[in-house]
Amino acid sequence: MKKIYLVVTLLSIFGLVLSSCSTGPAAAKDKLAEILARGTLLVSTDPAYPPQSQLQEGGQRAATTKCASDQHTASELTGFDIDVAVAIANKLGVEACFVTPDWTLITGGNWSNRWDISIGSMTITPERMNKLYFTQPYYTTPAAFFVNNANTTYTQPSDLSGKKIGGATGTTYDSYLAGTLQIPGETINLVVNNAQFVGYETDLNALQDLALGDGVRLDAVLTAQPTGAGAIKDGLPLKQLGDPVFFEYLAGAVDKASTPDPVPFLKKVSEVIQGLNSNGTLLQFSQKYYGVDLTTAAASFDLAALNQWP
Amino acid sequence: MAVETTKFPGQPESDPDLDMGQALLAQERRERLIQTVKIGVVWVGLIIFLTIALLQFNFDPAYVFKHFGFVLQGLPITIGVSLASIAFATILALLGAVARLSNNSIAQGISGFYVSIIRGTPLLIQIYIIYNGLPQIGTALIAKGLPQIGHLFILTAIQSGILALSLNYGAYMTEIFRAGIQSISGGQREAAESIGMNRVQILRRITLPQAVRVIIPDIANQFIAMQKDSALVSFMGIWEMTYRANRFARQDSKFMEMFVVAAILYWLLTIVSSWLEGILEKRMRHAYER
Repeated sequence: MKKIYLVVTLLSIFGLVLSSCSTGPAAAKDKLAEILARGTLLVSTDPAYPPQSQLQEGGQRAATTKCASDQHTASELTGFDIDVAVAIANKLGVEACFVTPDWTLITGGNWSNRWDISIGSMTITPERMNKLYFTQPYYTTPAAFFVNNANTTYTQPSDLSGKKIGGATGTTYDSYLAGTLQIPGETINLVVNNAQFVGYETDLNALQDLALGDGVRLDAVLTAQPTGAGAIKDGLPLKQLGDPVFFEYLAGAVDKASTPDPVPFLKKVSEVIQGLNSNGTLLQFSQKYYGVDLTTAAASFDLAALNQWP
Repeated sequence: MAVETTKFPGQPESDPDLDMGQALLAQERRERLIQTVKIGVVWVGLIIFLTIALLQFNFDPAYVFKHFGFVLQGLPITIGVSLASIAFATILALLGAVARLSNNSIAQGISGFYVSIIRGTPLLIQIYIIYNGLPQIGTALIAKGLPQIGHLFILTAIQSGILALSLNYGAYMTEIFRAGIQSISGGQREAAESIGMNRVQILRRITLPQAVRVIIPDIANQFIAMQKDSALVSFMGIWEMTYRANRFARQDSKFMEMFVVAAILYWLLTIVSSWLEGILEKRMRHAYER
């Protein structure tokens, strides 16, 4: 029996060693107070989506930072989302720190308080609203179909009915092609029917496959207009097909299961975003990364209509 | 009539049989060396062939040289995660092996269950369970008013990765340790018992020092395998080599280039590791060689 006690003791030491690094959060009356007391805003971003968020080559960790050792400072990342996150943190008077979990972990909710907020160009969807609270959108993205340059038979998105269309799994493009997409405050016009959806880890993988040739692996890809345009700028032989088929509102998101109460934090961040929109900061970022104004339209989105909290 | 003279070993005169034997040995050595050189030439040829083949198909070597440093920055994380995990796994394996070999049915049951369940499930699933699954229990515990225990179940990415790799490799290494301990003959144990050592003393002074020598190569092999399996933790957003290669490649759609960089770095890492393992093995064998 003595051996079992030894085993149990050693295992609990093992557990303690593992847990010693994670400090339990101090009791605060709500999320906003906790963040202000901590002095850091912990933002999740998946740096797989240039120009929204990508890794900064040669980016060094900031010398003086409040970010924990397994978090990253803004200097190690770059992109539109990163700039917006830093601007929001500055307005709150705290430092922005970043963690980079897989995108599916971010959209799935139940973050277990591992990070405070997602500033990751997340589209507001009813499905996600089950798990997440959304802030005021900080920009919009038109979604468009892209086809291979070599193709001459398709002239408009509706020509793609029944074709092989690629996109990132679990995204709004996936839902659009499945006919289940709903965007609060927008009527979705389903112009493509019975498409064979081919799921990819990210949109760029789909665009790569489309670039292999017309109809080789895919007939078309449905993705964000800026993502497709970026791929074309990088030299992929693709072209946009017709006008955007729908617009997405992209907002920050907070886990509904966050403790303590996240609602005051959400209201504050929404206020900050509207402020950044009206003083031209967001427009400046949009011009810098996309060369067009994607942000102004987001200000008119009626957040209260989402009816997220009582 | 010539008289056959009897030769004794150690006699100073030259012995035609011995000379012939030595000549044969030298011949064998030469042949082995030539064989090694030939194999080396084939390797170099294959590498050159693969490089040329890659260069024919839109592979951009300049991009590799410009950006490989970014992937290389993940090397300390890869090594660190592997080292921490192999250390914890060794502890778990030792405990598991001792429990498996004990006569205690509870200890045997626990360690047998542990080895079976871990070896019977994919490492990726174990990582999912630890990183995504355990927090469910943690939040439930916190809701029940047990925040201290609850927070133990909510691990950060690095902690989850190290825990998963340790548990996984601990199970495989339990079997290695068990075999190592069993390779020490029972007579030694009986001899130690006869001079009054207790079981802990026997394990610590007699069995383990000898068993470790036998299992060092296997532990090192596990360590090399772990260096590659550590790529799985990139899923949680740990910036090790795979994560860096994967996320960076997306920026410029240079997947082949960046993954080749990562593959070469892993390859070099395992080559260096097996070389170090060879040195260690030679040292451990030293006392048994003449």
